[in-house]
Amino acid sequence: MTVITHARRKSRLSKIIDDAGGVSVGVALSRAKANLDSLAPRSLAEVAARIAELSALQPPETPEQEVATLGLAYRAANGVIDSAGPFDMADVCAVALGLCDLIDAVTPQRPFDWRVLPVYAQSLQLLLALPQDAEARRKVRDSLDKMVDRKLAQPG
Amino acid sequence: MSGLEGLRESAVINLTGAVTMVVDDSPFGLDITASALLGFGIKTRYACHSAAEAMEILKDHPIDLLVVDTEMPDMDGYELVRWLRRSGLDPNAFAPVIMTAAHVRRSRVTEARDCGANFVITKPFSAASLLERIVFVARDSRPFLEVGDYFGPDRRFREGRAPGDERRADVLRKLRHEAEKNAAAGVGE
Repeated sequence: MTVITHARRKSRLSKIIDDAGGVSVGVALSRAKANLDSLAPRSLAEVAARIAELSALQPPETPEQEVATLGLAYRAANGVIDSAGPFDMADVCAVALGLCDLIDAVTPQRPFDWRVLPVYAQSLQLLLALPQDAEARRKVRDSLDKMVDRKLAQPG
Repeated sequence: MSGLEGLRESAVINLTGAVTMVVDDSPFGLDITASALLGFGIKTRYACHSAAEAMEILKDHPIDLLVVDTEMPDMDGYELVRWLRRSGLDPNAFAPVIMTAAHVRRSRVTEARDCGANFVITKPFSAASLLERIVFVARDSRPFLEVGDYFGPDRRFREGRAPGDERRADVLRKLRHEAEKNAAAGVGE
């Protein structure tokens, strides 16, 4: 196969970054953290909105509806991860990621089990409501992790 | 600082003049990225909610950095980056590109590797990991290759190393340094 190599030109970014002035990495990260902290309350509202979208989804009645509804569920789960972002909601992200994995693993031989969708919606709501240090958080995540492992172990 | 990975806290960077575009269909996702960038001194010049919107701007305006989400309706992030690399737009076709992904579908893993992005960061990402990738792509000296339908940075890290490798090396170096320091100070005797 033909390989054409373009000699790397120095990007403008590579010059800018070493220009005089600027800030230390420590200061840049402190500022970024302060900026992100100001978004934390909005994050909770956004995550709750995405969970509400998941809760509102109904099992489809036709194959066409199934594709569309799975797409909506996948986007809502992605939205949970997007919105939970860098706000100390690792278990919320992990649970949403599990739902993404289940949807992504759908094949004609391994259809989506629509019973899990309300389980995920309720579990995510519970995680939002529980205190950060609650033992129940770990139990919720563990039981969902086991379910994902079981489902993904099925032949597909 | 907690979360700081392959960067020295005291290292000085200047990203103030970087013309940056952020593309994300989620308004809040875009705000998160733009807020982190602002902390680094980067004021997002172009905030786009779709690939189509980004393409129109990229045709006419040079950028220094593109941060784009992978999952978007209609044209996704992978398609946008593939288009950009093949666009012939100079200098934008060669611009550093960082992609952000909440979840990468199995069917898109190959596309994530082959679309021509410099990096894909999985969410949730920390400000430290985003900054680390920005510094990495700024210093990325890999040549661009055209191989089949691929156009983008050389995917083999021969001279430039991935931040993950740097982190491991840095951890080992730091442990060795601390061990030497402790030995010199007579710690443990």
